[in-house]
Amino acid sequence: MKPERLADESPDIASAHYRWWAASGGLFLALVSLYFMYGGLALGLGSPFRPGTGAFPFFTGMILLAFSLTIIFRDLRGDGLAEDPDWISFFAIGAALSVFALAAGRLGLVPAAFLTTVIASLPDRSLPLPGKAILGSVVAAGCWVLFIKLLGLPFDAFEWRW
Amino acid sequence: MDIFSNFGNGLLTVLQPENLLYCFIGVFLGTFIGVLPGVGSMAAIAMILPLTFYLEPTTALVMIAGVYYGAEYGGSIASILMNIPGTPSSSITCIDGYPMARQGRAGVALFTTAVASFGGGMIGMVVMAVMSPVLAKLALSFGPTEYFAVILLGLVAASAVSNGGALKGIAMVVAGLMLGTVGIDLTTGDLRFTLGVPELRDGVNLVIVAMGLFGVGELIASIRANKDGRGQQKIDYAQFYPTRAEWKASIGPIWRGGGIGSFFGALPGTGQTVASAVAYAIEKKVSRNAANFGKGAVEGVVVPEAANNSATQTAFIPTLTLGVPGSASMALVIGALMIHGITPGPRILTEHADLFWGLVASFLVGNVMLLVLNIPLIGIWVRLLQIPYKYMYPTIIVLICMGVYSLNNNVFDIWLTLAFGIFGYLMRLYRFEPAPLLIGFVLGPMMEEHMRRAMLLSRGDPMVFLERPISGTLIGITCFLLVYGLFKSFRQHRHGRVRPLPTTE
Repeated sequence: MKPERLADESPDIASAHYRWWAASGGLFLALVSLYFMYGGLALGLGSPFRPGTGAFPFFTGMILLAFSLTIIFRDLRGDGLAEDPDWISFFAIGAALSVFALAAGRLGLVPAAFLTTVIASLPDRSLPLPGKAILGSVVAAGCWVLFIKLLGLPFDAFEWRW
Repeated sequence: MDIFSNFGNGLLTVLQPENLLYCFIGVFLGTFIGVLPGVGSMAAIAMILPLTFYLEPTTALVMIAGVYYGAEYGGSIASILMNIPGTPSSSITCIDGYPMARQGRAGVALFTTAVASFGGGMIGMVVMAVMSPVLAKLALSFGPTEYFAVILLGLVAASAVSNGGALKGIAMVVAGLMLGTVGIDLTTGDLRFTLGVPELRDGVNLVIVAMGLFGVGELIASIRANKDGRGQQKIDYAQFYPTRAEWKASIGPIWRGGGIGSFFGALPGTGQTVASAVAYAIEKKVSRNAANFGKGAVEGVVVPEAANNSATQTAFIPTLTLGVPGSASMALVIGALMIHGITPGPRILTEHADLFWGLVASFLVGNVMLLVLNIPLIGIWVRLLQIPYKYMYPTIIVLICMGVYSLNNNVFDIWLTLAFGIFGYLMRLYRFEPAPLLIGFVLGPMMEEHMRRAMLLSRGDPMVFLERPISGTLIGITCFLLVYGLFKSFRQHRHGRVRPLPTTE
């Protein structure tokens, strides 16, 4: 991990672009809270005596809105971001999960585990492609033994359904 | 005495072959995952959770507890050998553990850690056996008003003192409360926030939230952290057993660490990390060997390990007797029990006595297993640390996928896990901790139900929360924590101090 970024050491922290990027976490929460408040109103707040279905989401949404506005205000002044994102790993892991979701029901468990392993290991360049394939095969075989043979879960090892 | 006969019954429960087996599996897997840096006890429990659905409730709880304290113990191995805390609570162990390893005394450090963890665990177990019935008796007089106040206190305590700052911690708790409302409203039967997705009618599955936030989210963050080479230590087995002087120096710290740990473990929101840090600081003040702290003092390894292991056991006190978890890991324990149809609360001691005392007794059995197994197994853990992370993390991703997929045999759950993983990782970047969100998510539905009941009983008068003595006091403490946490958070901000992003418990 890169050394911690200290607020007063970073030169680019003053740029408006960085600040809005840093505050976007709070912005997201503010949008979520507005959605829950709107949904809560639509569901009905009820009365104090008998709070309705929408009361709890509405009031928690209101609290979150207050907190996220404070957070946006504070993050705009500088120290919102904790670390530089590792986009390569982020997308590799995202792709690995997506491929598992797409392949598990269509190709079966063993190919899904193989593909997921290979794709997840893509960001690491120190492992050559044949090595990634061997790792994938070992993990796929291990999954087959553990989940289908030992635990007896109702999965198909191989199938072909599109 | 009552406690002894109860404990004896518990021991009989645990000593059944099935429970023993799963206790062993739990402790072993927990240590295994705890040793891996970047993957904490949270991820370990989340990954084991789907497996426990097939087990008896007692067996499941014994296994989850084993994973929990096994991971805490495993975390200290990585701290000592590589100066990378395997779990956040073992970061204090690095201070003296790593210097010991560099002096060629890694064996001694690992051995005393095992003994200290055992000692601390036993102290925590005794405190739990004695205190739980007392607390449960008190809690029997609680009505919805008091429960609402206790939950509120637990939520604020868990977030206001969190490492990411009170403001963001509380925001995450509230977001968790909101997430908990997704699905059918149990009181009215209305659908809430399901976005028209039929899979969301029963709400979001706890395993998916935990796997996404902690499994996927932490894993993405750990890939870069583990890319750099690792320091490797050779263990000299000739220097494995502590000297007589080191034994003698360890006894006092085990008691003090265990005592301090038991106290902080039972408080909501503090947990093992705070326990080990406070115990270390106090020991440094009282120890005659204070000058050597930080340079490889045995006491400096013993105290935090005794403290975090006893805190691990006492964390179960409020979780089981009040149903209010002090940490995200304990929230998962509550979730696991509710899946088995058991609501934690004061009645658990009478209605599920075998479960409660079985768990208490399993602390003894599991800690003995840790002690007996890990001394010969240390060689294996060291070799495990030498396996490059590039082989480990793809395997963990597949295990996460398999765990989630096995819940309902439904691909939608994988997509949802992915969504929570992305959310968890991005929020980490913005210094939002995922742990408070999980606590809020578990407690949200309970909190709403108690709030509705309390309002019904008071005929719509919200003052009832302040007027009743116990709930009034609890809300007073909550307000104090809230103000203190926010004040601290703002002051920290003004000083422009940016603290390293912690991984969660």
